[in-house]
Amino acid sequence: MTQPPAIAVEGVARSFGSVHAVRDVTFEAHPGRVTALIGPNGSGKTTLLLMLASLLQPDRGTIRIQGHDPVTDPRAVRRVMGWMPDVLGSWATLTVRQTLETTARLYELDAAQARSRAAELIDLVGLEELADQPTRVLSRGQKQRLSLARALVHRPTVLLLDEPASGLDPAARIDLRVLVRRLAAEGASVLVSSHVLAELDEMADDAVYLDHGVTASRESVEASRSTVRDWRVRALDPAALAAALAELGIPTGGDDHLGTLVPVAGEQEAAAVLTRLTAHGVAISAFGPAVGDLEHTFLDLAKGGRS
Amino acid sequence: MNGWITGLGTIAALELRQRVRSVAWLVLLIVVFVIVAIVTLLLWFSLSTFGDDSVDNAAIYSSIVFFVLLVGTLVTPAVSGGAINAERDAGTLATTQVTLVSAGQIVLGKFLAAWTIALTFLAASLPFIVLAVAIGGVPITTLLTSLAVLVVELGVVAAIGVGLSGLQTRALFSVVTTYLVVAALSIGTLIAFGLGGLASQSEVRSVYIGYTYDQSVELDPDTGLPEDPDDITCLEPEVTTYQAPRFDRVWWFLAANPYIVLADASPTTFDENGNPEDLFGGIGLGIRGAQLPPDLEQTYDECANAKANWRLVQDDYETPEEVYAKTVPSWFVGIVIHLVLAGLALWGAVARTRTPSKHLPKGSRVA
Repeated sequence: MTQPPAIAVEGVARSFGSVHAVRDVTFEAHPGRVTALIGPNGSGKTTLLLMLASLLQPDRGTIRIQGHDPVTDPRAVRRVMGWMPDVLGSWATLTVRQTLETTARLYELDAAQARSRAAELIDLVGLEELADQPTRVLSRGQKQRLSLARALVHRPTVLLLDEPASGLDPAARIDLRVLVRRLAAEGASVLVSSHVLAELDEMADDAVYLDHGVTASRESVEASRSTVRDWRVRALDPAALAAALAELGIPTGGDDHLGTLVPVAGEQEAAAVLTRLTAHGVAISAFGPAVGDLEHTFLDLAKGGRS
Repeated sequence: MNGWITGLGTIAALELRQRVRSVAWLVLLIVVFVIVAIVTLLLWFSLSTFGDDSVDNAAIYSSIVFFVLLVGTLVTPAVSGGAINAERDAGTLATTQVTLVSAGQIVLGKFLAAWTIALTFLAASLPFIVLAVAIGGVPITTLLTSLAVLVVELGVVAAIGVGLSGLQTRALFSVVTTYLVVAALSIGTLIAFGLGGLASQSEVRSVYIGYTYDQSVELDPDTGLPEDPDDITCLEPEVTTYQAPRFDRVWWFLAANPYIVLADASPTTFDENGNPEDLFGGIGLGIRGAQLPPDLEQTYDECANAKANWRLVQDDYETPEEVYAKTVPSWFVGIVIHLVLAGLALWGAVARTRTPSKHLPKGSRVA
């Protein structure tokens, strides 16, 4: 990576009284890439995002957003950073359009710019039909889209999305994914937190694992990637598959409703298994990891304790 | 600077849009209008039965203005009390804080909006105040001063309401606390003044010198005393001591009462004996008089007076006009106290709303 990181976090900790929400977080996120922030409920994701969003001071450690320190120069950070909170607050009596125009005004756009930017964003997140309705009539998913639009008002180059997909229907999730990928392609650095890992798998380039307020080290993430994991094999004739596996001496991890699970360590071994099965004449219709990359790593890290 | 004002304006406009569109505001406005109308009518019928001279008209005017202050200070906490913490609860404060507006702009913008709304209630009662002026022949300077004080006082209550809503976590608590502050200023100051004055008492030493005279000498028929002063003999001075309350030490408690400020600020006119002509002037006189310390060494030398054939005039009587002239204008002291309170509340709210924040109020979240 030749460009400087868009987000650089080092040794950040933050506690609330005796609750250590974030203990030791170190990671980087880069321009043009989508970084997943992964962790179970209560692992400190939201607290970390609040610190990145210049709302909360870290007790220890340093944060740089495009090189700016949110503690000493929050204004510079706010100019380049867009934040979509996990709490869906909206000004209930304002319409969608007014909400976006007001937000634009708060980002120091003039009235004409605010109007055109609001129209653009309404179109971008697909709220045209509700544009002149008060925000209190919006459904959860629609509020989510409004919240995303609000985070994009000032064309930020660093985007912090806290659980952006919760409450979205499948179509809206795909829209979200396409939009996030597009923003990254345009050069933004996007940090997405979620505990729905399948969803992150589809859009993230990098991942930061957070558990009990601590980020997993690069080494332990690498290590988990190469640990043994289940791949799922589905054949046109399940009986033939079972026979072939037994004959070839490949151990199985049992069957589920979708197929047979085969534990393998790493992609090379998986490719070898597939070759042997096809060579044996089994008609394979599907072959792939039983759980997504992120989920596998996440579960493996959680199992292995904190690193 | 221009950008700063624009941000302030955006916050104030946002706040007004949210509040003014609410049905609650409209209902309150109508309620205020109707209540002030009823009170004006009642005052009119009850007071004008005593005749229709200027004193009664001034009394009607003073009562209406007092009532408007009462209504205003009761309504303003409700419209300003949840300005910041309710938004924090709803999750809309944090999304404002991540924009380019500062904590100062957020708090001041909300204060300006709350003040504006409070002033709409004043506007709703304005017809009745103007009516009282028009019919009662109250001087226009009195009207202008009353209005100015009402505007400032509503601003003070709005500032305290917004300030406390920034300092306290729960919207309900901050509204209640704002009411308590209003009650403390309106009623608490009276109690503090009374009790404080009684608690800090001073000993007054009073010396009385009597006289006696020989009954056999020729007496002046006018005075009933001997014609020759040498026939009057002075008695031993009688010394008595007693405790007197020191209201002069606690008068500023009363000065902080918004009603006293309102009354004392009105320019007072005096009659030929130096007595104030209107109700506001009378109240103002009371607080002015309280500033004067009691005379701790009193001497009543009746003997010397008798010898001088009652021509010694113990002239330490001051007309109210003279008291007015020599005392501190208490309305000014009161306004300064109020402005300091309002400033402190707003300053505290700004400090509490500034991000990135070091501390979180207990049980609250920033998002």
